Amino acid sequence: MDLAILGAGPGGYVAAIKAAQLGARVTLIEDQEVGGTCLNWGCIPTKTLLASTDLLAKAREMESFGLELQGSVTPDMTRIMERKNKVVSTQVKGIRSLLKAGGVILKDGRGVLTSPRDISVAGKDGSSYTVTADKVIIATGSRPAQIAAFPFDNRNIISSTGALELSAIPKSLLIVGAGAIGCEFACIYRELGSEVTLVEMAGRAVATEDQEISALLARELKKKKIRLLTDVRVEKVDVREDGVHAFLSDGQELAAEKVLVSIGRAFNSEDIGAEALGLARGGRGEIIVNERLETNVPGVYAVGDVTGGLLLAHVASRQGLVAAQNCMGAAIAMDYRVVPAAIFTHPEIASVGLRQHQAEERGLKTRIGRFQFRGLGKAHAMGEIAGFLKIIAEEQTDEILGAHIMGPHASDLIHEMAVAMQHGLTARDIAATIHVHPALAEGLLEAAEDVHGEAVHVLPASDR
Amino acid sequence: MNPDDLKYHKEHTWVRIAGKKGTIGITDYAQEALGDIVYIDLPEVDTAVEADSEISEIESTKATSAVITPLAGVIVKVNDDLAESPEVINEDPYGKGWIAVIELENPAEAEDLMDSSEYEKYIEEEAK
Ligand SMILES: Cc1cc2nc3c(=O)[nH]c(=O)nc-3n(C[C@H](O)[C@H](O)[C@H](O)COP(=O)(O)OP(=O)(O)OC[C@H]3O[C@@H](n4cnc5c(N)ncnc54)[C@H](O)[C@@H]3O)c2cc1C
Repeated sequence: MDLAILGAGPGGYVAAIKAAQLGARVTLIEDQEVGGTCLNWGCIPTKTLLASTDLLAKAREMESFGLELQGSVTPDMTRIMERKNKVVSTQVKGIRSLLKAGGVILKDGRGVLTSPRDISVAGKDGSSYTVTADKVIIATGSRPAQIAAFPFDNRNIISSTGALELSAIPKSLLIVGAGAIGCEFACIYRELGSEVTLVEMAGRAVATEDQEISALLARELKKKKIRLLTDVRVEKVDVREDGVHAFLSDGQELAAEKVLVSIGRAFNSEDIGAEALGLARGGRGEIIVNERLETNVPGVYAVGDVTGGLLLAHVASRQGLVAAQNCMGAAIAMDYRVVPAAIFTHPEIASVGLRQHQAEERGLKTRIGRFQFRGLGKAHAMGEIAGFLKIIAEEQTDEILGAHIMGPHASDLIHEMAVAMQHGLTARDIAATIHVHPALAEGLLEAAEDVHGEAVHVLPASDR
Repeated sequence: MNPDDLKYHKEHTWVRIAGKKGTIGITDYAQEALGDIVYIDLPEVDTAVEADSEISEIESTKATSAVITPLAGVIVKVNDDLAESPEVINEDPYGKGWIAVIELENPAEAEDLMDSSEYEKYIEEEAK
């Protein structure tokens, strides 16, 4: 079996290694760098910058921890970016050696499908050739979407990629779109000292999350003096000598040094030969796949962002695993019932399963348990008491339908809930499990108890 | 200990009436129950509020708690000093720890609230 994969992001490279393990001869074609958006311009660089700003935030609180600083702590953008580049390049090397060890043939170049079996490649070294395979997986991912009225100029109007490469801290930053990416950059640049304004056209920030999460995020942003404007659109941006001037749909005019546009992603399905193949695509340009991740063209599969579903690295990777196995003769359906996701604001946000409003829309009867991090000794010891944990359980069966966390280490804590949901566990199952003391995970124990009004460390209702 | 010139609401807030204006804060009992206050989400000026509704939320090291306005009206002033120093509410709940001033819809409605001795009885009951 010869398998060709277009794109080496978390969807493509994971599919490549898996298929090779299963015995396929795999050619992986990558136009830019292995690891794709996630490693080079997404998950990893943002989290690396965040590690610097989190430490900076902690350093500012040193005194309250009984530590005296002689001198001051100030961010140095050059070195922060150097560290980020180093982290990325180490990981890139890691993936390259994994691919090599797995026997995957990596081709550095841009590929275009000329038939369901043939990919014509323009190599980075100037070569051009055709890769022929029995099956193909398209994993070309996505790129920052722009606004036609004020496209990226990569100087004053920047994308998330541009925001990962600034050489100086902007005095002020206007962020269009308060989704996961916009809110993460808001926290990063605010901590570095920028004046940050988030403009969101929906009624709330991180609008796909549970409403209580959005409400608390709004509060936490306010504490950081990040301005959040909702229900309003940026209609026009003028680039002037002193920076940018943005004109909002409510008549306001805002000035800033730079504008970061983070309104969503555009799918890389245009220049890959989709038309010639007759690949079915949806209205946003996403490639349509069935539950086994095969497109309408037999033998051609697609995974990851380019399929337009949940734009998450771990979803892309899981799709890659499933598609690789299906290419090798399996018939596995993707299961999206339990997909944990995190937003790396400060504090972090994580969720899995149904939001409360979704449960209500589906007419489900639920019981909801909540617990505040400030009720945990460990949170006080760490000096991170903001946030809460919320568990939504089905009223009759007590099965956990969803969980929402905002607080320290939310992105790690959520997995207890994900495992519970994967196996149909109940709130009582969580409550019956002894949790380490003192640990942040005790918050989940308490929230699970609170589903039945039995939490021990909760004040009576009138004081909450 | 609870000043006699104030009116009290069962959600542990107080109001000081002066003409058409009412100044609002939380009671000593409330600040004591909350413990160290670390943040207050102040309301915005010009917001219209209904009686018994939440106008603000307080975070302490132990809990988060809604601030309920005893009376209806429009918020005309908020205590901005609390943004930087919320602990003032613990230190001086009836003085420097005031939260907002409301232009009252109907000051006469204050008659329905508790006076200081009624409130003291009320918290004794609650404590039981
Ligand atoms: C700022 C930012 C932060 C993010 N943070 C997170 C996070 O914390 N957690 C999370 O889960 N997700 C995060 N994401 C989303 C995550 O990066 C994507 O979901 C993930 O990268 C999708 O993987 P993919 O393999 O589908 O596509 P991509 O990672 O986009 O990879 C596609 C690859 O295909 C290559 N390619 C495209 N066309 C061709 C062609 N014709 N020939 C050859 N190669 C081609 C591209 O060069 C690219 O390397 C973030 C994204 C951004 C932008």
